[in-house]
Amino acid sequence: MASQRIGELDFSEPYGIHHRINNPSSSLINDQGSGFDFGELEEAIGLQGVKIRNDETKASFFTGKPAATLEMFPSWPMRFHQSSIGGTNNKSGGESSDSALSSKNENPFEPESPLSKKASSFCSSDQLQHLQLQQDMTNNNDVIKTASSPKSAHEKLQRKGGGSTSDNKPLDAKTLRRLAQNREAARKSRLRKKAYVQQLESSRLKLTQLEQDLQRARSQGMFMDWSGGVGSNISSGAMFDMEYARWLEEDNRLLTELRNGLEAALSDNEMRVMVEGYLCHYDEVFRVKGVTAKADVFHVINGGWTSQAERCFLWIGGFRPSEIIMMLIQQLEAVAEQQIMGMYGLRHSSQQAEEALSQGLDQLQQSVVDTIAGAPLVDGVQQMVVAVGKLANLEGFLRQADNLRQQTLHQLCRLLTVRQAARSFLVIGEYYARLRALSSLWASRSRDQTIITSDENSCQTTTDMQMLQPSHNHFSSF
Amino acid sequence: MSQEKLMHYQVDPWNCYMMRVRRRRMEEEDEMERVMRIVSESAVVIFSSSSCCMCHAMKSLFCGMGVNTMVHELDQDSKGKQMEKTLMRLLATNSTTLPVVFIGGKLVGSMDTLLAFHVNGSLVQLLKQAGALWL
Repeated sequence: MASQRIGELDFSEPYGIHHRINNPSSSLINDQGSGFDFGELEEAIGLQGVKIRNDETKASFFTGKPAATLEMFPSWPMRFHQSSIGGTNNKSGGESSDSALSSKNENPFEPESPLSKKASSFCSSDQLQHLQLQQDMTNNNDVIKTASSPKSAHEKLQRKGGGSTSDNKPLDAKTLRRLAQNREAARKSRLRKKAYVQQLESSRLKLTQLEQDLQRARSQGMFMDWSGGVGSNISSGAMFDMEYARWLEEDNRLLTELRNGLEAALSDNEMRVMVEGYLCHYDEVFRVKGVTAKADVFHVINGGWTSQAERCFLWIGGFRPSEIIMMLIQQLEAVAEQQIMGMYGLRHSSQQAEEALSQGLDQLQQSVVDTIAGAPLVDGVQQMVVAVGKLANLEGFLRQADNLRQQTLHQLCRLLTVRQAARSFLVIGEYYARLRALSSLWASRSRDQTIITSDENSCQTTTDMQMLQPSHNHFSSF
Repeated sequence: MSQEKLMHYQVDPWNCYMMRVRRRRMEEEDEMERVMRIVSESAVVIFSSSSCCMCHAMKSLFCGMGVNTMVHELDQDSKGKQMEKTLMRLLATNSTTLPVVFIGGKLVGSMDTLLAFHVNGSLVQLLKQAGALWL
């Protein structure tokens, strides 16, 4: 039956007309043809309680319904009967809406107390109260015979006149219950949908915020291979990596010059010029480190710009002066006794300074840890601010460490002759070149182990070792 | 009458200003005297802050060398701020540079100067001269 189909349509798509809540009553009327959800109607009526009563168009709403629909919604038998008569009696438009409401109210089969409560909240007419009384008294659909008002008589007539609904009467109880449950389910689904949509919206906002944070963090901690060709987004860390790479090239060039100068046995003055130039070269790297530390202290102090082996032996973002001095004492030849004593003294002083700086740094770490750990679980913002302020001291420590390294190198040049100084620079340069070679060897070793067989692997490593051998002999020539 | 009043207003601001300058200079001198008085009390005097970690490093350095130092915690001194300003003026710098160390009543400087002196060996000399270190 067409009516059945329409009814099914209606119940299968409660969401389809979800939007109708917000539409004015007119659109409700217009949409009525495709489906009809009583819950929507109730809410719309609630929103426009007064309007309903006075709205003549409401009559057409009811009159416009096809007879078939009438049969599908026996829960409001009054209204249907109403409309069938209303089609013939347009004058009673206002009345019809009223009685529709009241019919809704007085339906005894209606288990939904909220519904009746809603209806009662809409209109405060005496009629309604009267009808509610009737509802209380009656228990049957037919009971609305207690017509104390002309209205109820009218309704009774309408009821009788609604012959088309007669075959549905026996099904009323079950259908009514089913319809009521459907209505409730539809309402609950609507609410759930609303909540879900709100959740989605908030998650979307959170996601955009997280993305922004991630972008910011990435731009701060970027490495060279990431920043690559990105124009203005190059972080200070990546810039420092590039500058350091350039410094290393310059370093190689200067060391080669020194080596050639030594082998060519240039005069002392010329050697002195080269040694001074090399010292300036080192001063330059310390200066750049200092500048970068102001922007990104963690990058410099953690040695992200160094090779892996160098990073392993890092001390506050660079080499440990006492270790270098010790290495020089062992590797340098043709050094006078007095000079050796001087170097031991220098090593001793730098050791004391290193110890002092390390202890200061430990105290800083302890202080930061205490601040963070002691922060309350909720709203520990103040502690975080304090901790950030304490972390700012890191830059000072890095600066002092670089200062110590710089002073050690300068003092070394003062202790040794020009040639010895040149040789010591070559030793230091060679040492770091080997550390870098060690890092790459190690990296390739772990790579190769997974791919190549063990024989080939050992072959490869031995050739690399042989590669290092000559430079070792080169060392001893000093 | 009004003329005199005018002149009074014209001249007095300058006098007020000069008075203020003179007063400030006197205060500064007082501060300087105070600082000088403090640093002459001991061979090695460190002006530090109890929460500063670099100050802790400096104290550890002297401890490691076996030198007894007199530490003046400026954050626990009622006139600490003013003394800090005086020290900044002495060091000719605008940034807070604690710790500051005086050896034998004479200004040595901040941590970087101290390390430089230590590395080139002159620190030990200074300490010996001040009588803070005996070989």
